[in-house]
Amino acid sequence: MKLHLPPRVSPKAFDAMLTASAAVVGKDWVMATDADRDAYSDVYAPGSSEEWPAGAAIAPASVEEVRAIVRLANEHKTPLWPVARGKNLGYGAAAPRMAGSIVLDLGRMNKILELDSTLSYCVVEPGVGFFDLYDAIQRAKAPLWLSVPGNAWGSVLGNALDHGIGYTSYGLHARNLCGIEAVLPDGDLVRTGMGAMEGNPSWHLFPFSYGPTFDLAFTQSNLGVVTKAGVWLQPAPETSLEIVWDIPNEEDIAWVIDTIAPLKISGLIDQNVFVPSWLGKMVLKGQRKDFWDKPGAIPEWRVQELLKQYKLGYWQVALRLYGDESVVKARAEVVKAAMKRHLDAAPAEHWWRQGDPIGQYETTMGVPSAVPLQMSDWIGGRGAHMGFSPVVPATGAHVMDQLKRSRKIIADHDVDFYASFTIGGRFANNINMLMYDRDQPEMVANMRRLFDALISETAKAGYGEYRTHLGWMDPVAETFGFNNQALRRMTEKVKNALDPNGVIAPGKQGIWPAAYAAERARNAGGKA
Amino acid sequence: MTRMFSRAVLVAAMVVAGGSAVLADPPAMMMPPYMLRPAAPAGDRLKPGGDGKTLFEVHCGYCHLLGGMGTNLLTKQRMMMGETPDKGLLANRTDLTADYVKSVVRAGKGAMPAQTKVDVTDAELEAVSKYLGKAG
Repeated sequence: MKLHLPPRVSPKAFDAMLTASAAVVGKDWVMATDADRDAYSDVYAPGSSEEWPAGAAIAPASVEEVRAIVRLANEHKTPLWPVARGKNLGYGAAAPRMAGSIVLDLGRMNKILELDSTLSYCVVEPGVGFFDLYDAIQRAKAPLWLSVPGNAWGSVLGNALDHGIGYTSYGLHARNLCGIEAVLPDGDLVRTGMGAMEGNPSWHLFPFSYGPTFDLAFTQSNLGVVTKAGVWLQPAPETSLEIVWDIPNEEDIAWVIDTIAPLKISGLIDQNVFVPSWLGKMVLKGQRKDFWDKPGAIPEWRVQELLKQYKLGYWQVALRLYGDESVVKARAEVVKAAMKRHLDAAPAEHWWRQGDPIGQYETTMGVPSAVPLQMSDWIGGRGAHMGFSPVVPATGAHVMDQLKRSRKIIADHDVDFYASFTIGGRFANNINMLMYDRDQPEMVANMRRLFDALISETAKAGYGEYRTHLGWMDPVAETFGFNNQALRRMTEKVKNALDPNGVIAPGKQGIWPAAYAAERARNAGGKA
Repeated sequence: MTRMFSRAVLVAAMVVAGGSAVLADPPAMMMPPYMLRPAAPAGDRLKPGGDGKTLFEVHCGYCHLLGGMGTNLLTKQRMMMGETPDKGLLANRTDLTADYVKSVVRAGKGAMPAQTKVDVTDAELEAVSKYLGKAG
């Protein structure tokens, strides 16, 4: 990829920043060839990856190096785009929101600083991946479990900071963060919570600061560069039971939500319960052309044939309970009785007990895997996906309302429907996977129109997204319009106070510093 | 674990017929155990001469060990070319050249994204490509 410069930065000034940075991190860790820029582009970009191009990448190895690079960015007015490991696939990967931003790749900062089995937490740097942490826990034989997202190739902190979700009792990953260290946009260094006191051993245990608590202000945020954080982990349970129901019909999702959500809210179910539609199973069985070889959405009659042939329900609930065996058994009886009121078929039950092996794809037991990314092969070619991800109240009525609306919009665009609902408590995350071949321009253009329509129609109904791709950060930010975008206005006031040169991640989640206000809505939405 | 059978994929259970490759239903498929990677070697990642096998498992093992995403997709591809399922593991391939390995790692291929120099340094890639490049 050719060099795209940030706004108002001359080639000479850009080079001066890279030369000065090389003196900090070493020349091998300043990466600015065309091939390097390609490697930091959005591998799943809906269209040309040159819409969101990195100018270069710099990889510091320590907090002090991060601080030095941030100070240089202010001096040279070159914006940085911090990434933990850059594997935010489906949401932009390592690519920056604003063209020419220098990716600040924190992948070399990959130390596990603490692993505490007594109080069940760890302290990690941003470059620590889910696989790294899992391996370290296995080697230490520590009685701790992770919570992992569908694609676990990425960073533990990166995923939590982008509000990623997993499918265990610790599935709201941002909630597991406790005590953050961050480099501010002027190079200053802060520690939140009890960490504001030198040497306080409760830093990663007590979740509040003395005074305002800023931990979550550093998530989906451009107010600083997180350089380490505490992450709460699940104590390994004595036993675990997975109970699997195939749910036959599409409209059954309403009673499924109304049955499970109250049990989750009451605490009887600890887990984030993931309820994927049938296509989630099919994408691992082969390629789309193996099941339907025509363009356009798979017709309903063929869907019904496939469900029958592969013995799939329209939805699947694979619910998992954790704890001592007697407690798990008692909880299971309550859950099964509640489900039986709607579904006669007995569920499959899979017990696990301490000492039993754990399979490689047991996401609900916190085992990291990249296998769900195999769905990129479903469409074929340079397969890719984006997730349309609104949040809805966890009631059957709200879920059906959302389902019917997005289903119709997706059908109107002649695209396959692949939805899931993850019940996180009082809410459900509805993720609609939109899969495309990057080399089929009309398919990509259709996806972009579809994405626009989903955002605007869903917002009209009162629901908003929890996370989105670079290209839609501004359109989604627009939907949060209460009192003339009061929340965005407040955040931008804070942003401008902390970051007068706008050097940290301009445009992240629609927050633009004054220095780059003219870039708002550029390369955004379906028409870009 | 009472269940060694999974809803997920295993290569040996794949049905290959008529140009399509459809994975069989459970319970014919067995879930492989988690593949623990070796610890990353300590020291300067820019220094040449590292152990190719170790570096491959550390940096490529997310997807290219038994049961990984890359292994699963490649197994299907190799079987459709008439080869045995074990050829889905890159470590078992005898037809790869070092230059080809380097090119795919840096440029990406199909479902595989290009790897940055933080993912795998040039020195590490040199060692990995020598290990995998059994055809020269």
